[in-house]
Amino acid sequence: MSEPVASSRDGEAAIAFRGASYRYDGQEIDAVERVDLRVEVGERLGVLGPNGGGKSTLLRLALGLVRPTRGEVRVFGVAPERARREGLIASVAQRSGAELAFPLSVRQVVLMARAARVAPWRGLPAEVREAGERAIDLVGARGYADRPIGALSGGQLQRVLIARAVACSPRVLVLDEPMVGVDVLGQQKFADLLTKLHDEMGLTIVIVSHDLRAIAAGCDRVACLNRTLHSHGAPKGLTPQVLAEVFSHDVEAFFGEVHVDAHAASECADPGHMHDHGHGHAHERGDEERGS
Amino acid sequence: MRTIEYLTEPGLAGIYWPMVLAGFAIALTCATLSVVVVLKRLAFIGQGVSHAAFGGVGVAYVVGVTGVGSLGQELGLLGIVLGFCVVSALTIAHFGREDRADSVIAIVLVGAMALGFILFEVAGRSAAAGGRVSPPGVESVLFGSFTGVGWRSAVLAWVVALVVMGVTWALRRRVVFWAFDEPAAEAFGLRTRVLGAVQMVLLALAIVVTMRLAGVILATALLVLPGAIALRLSRRSVVVFVLAQIAAVVGVLGGLVLSFEADLQQGPSVVGVLLGMLVVVAVWARWPKGQIVR
Repeated sequence: MSEPVASSRDGEAAIAFRGASYRYDGQEIDAVERVDLRVEVGERLGVLGPNGGGKSTLLRLALGLVRPTRGEVRVFGVAPERARREGLIASVAQRSGAELAFPLSVRQVVLMARAARVAPWRGLPAEVREAGERAIDLVGARGYADRPIGALSGGQLQRVLIARAVACSPRVLVLDEPMVGVDVLGQQKFADLLTKLHDEMGLTIVIVSHDLRAIAAGCDRVACLNRTLHSHGAPKGLTPQVLAEVFSHDVEAFFGEVHVDAHAASECADPGHMHDHGHGHAHERGDEERGS
Repeated sequence: MRTIEYLTEPGLAGIYWPMVLAGFAIALTCATLSVVVVLKRLAFIGQGVSHAAFGGVGVAYVVGVTGVGSLGQELGLLGIVLGFCVVSALTIAHFGREDRADSVIAIVLVGAMALGFILFEVAGRSAAAGGRVSPPGVESVLFGSFTGVGWRSAVLAWVVALVVMGVTWALRRRVVFWAFDEPAAEAFGLRTRVLGAVQMVLLALAIVVTMRLAGVILATALLVLPGAIALRLSRRSVVVFVLAQIAAVVGVLGGLVLSFEADLQQGPSVVGVLLGMLVVVAVWARWPKGQIVR
């Protein structure tokens, strides 16, 4: 196997996957396999892939919720578990988990993640409260900061959950399927918010989604994941061929009439701005031919 | 008023004051946990754990721990039952994660009940043969009996109340996050499994002391009703928490007064008063002008 690209570069990556694989107990194949991916500090990366393609697993690896079966993952050079506990990395999940009947105000929800790290015998320090207020302003939730959390629309709730992550002053923000339940009007607002977070806070942003709209909402670079990492480059470099490989047969339903040959697609991929980090058959065959 | 008479008559005060003080303590203990029990949907787990206590009592009697007489006996009984409850709570938490939690709870519940019934019989026979203290009637374990509460039990109930309230206070910010959104709490670095386990142990502790007074079956009521009442009255966390404590104390003390005045069993009287409060609050909260929620 060739040397992973990531480890040969200098400088600390925000997130570095080096040959990372993860297999769930009792499964025959890896959920994600030999992923080499460097998320650079300050960039906005979209990870696009079909449902069941290992996106959530990749995210869990980055957050240190699971350890790679093989390979390693580093967040700012430290173990992801540590990065998570120290608040270097924060995430916004799909909003299914929250119990909205909870008697909490928007402000309390924004503060809860940061507050959970404050010693119990202390009141909330002023700097924590200020971080919360800044986060509320940043996501534009000032108008409903005192309302009960159960009284928000889907889009408002999502902003509040982003504010909760931002209030922890992380350096990387990870968003899982952020477009679920967001209407067309909300999409542009969401894209604007991401740009604001990136520009004003200098946040590194990773969006994980099966929805191209979510990725298109302001990512600098796209990686396609279907168990293995297929390619990454600027979004405009994202060709139907690459998508065909990732989504296989779903692509027609996605884009209408697109005829592609998956083998041809990966051999056509321009090595100039696309790194094939996976170990697709086409690629390996290519290496052998060059070697002989 | 029989209540006044019971509490002021020198001969009776030694029986009824411990009952009232212990009732106050279990009200605070259960109310402390009840808001989270309701919101985190732990009521059915509480039901399973409280019935597991029945198995624990059976084990205690078979090994000769009756909880009667010395402090050692009392602590021994509490310890065995607590151990039994904690093990079943953790079993439910562990298997419920992978399998269907409600089935796991049902299995633990009936298993512990069956074991308890069998062990009660075994203990009853050997006690009769050896001339030792025979176990109490199954009914008193199921429905509790305030009348057997002495000063020692009352003090123990207060110790447990202070422990449960203290731990909950120390963990309040984490518990709120965990109960509100467990997956997110994990993703933000909270040790959610530890928090869950601590909550299970607190639940078991609350159930063990409540069981002595209100019985196995009614322990669940005290863990659910105060939270359910308080959540209908406010959407502010601190207010809800305080209201749950008030509701529980009013319910328990009101239930005791009812039981004294009408000569009823204490456990069911307490539940009756709490249920009555819930109905009043639910109707009021839905009444057009009484809409204070939302």
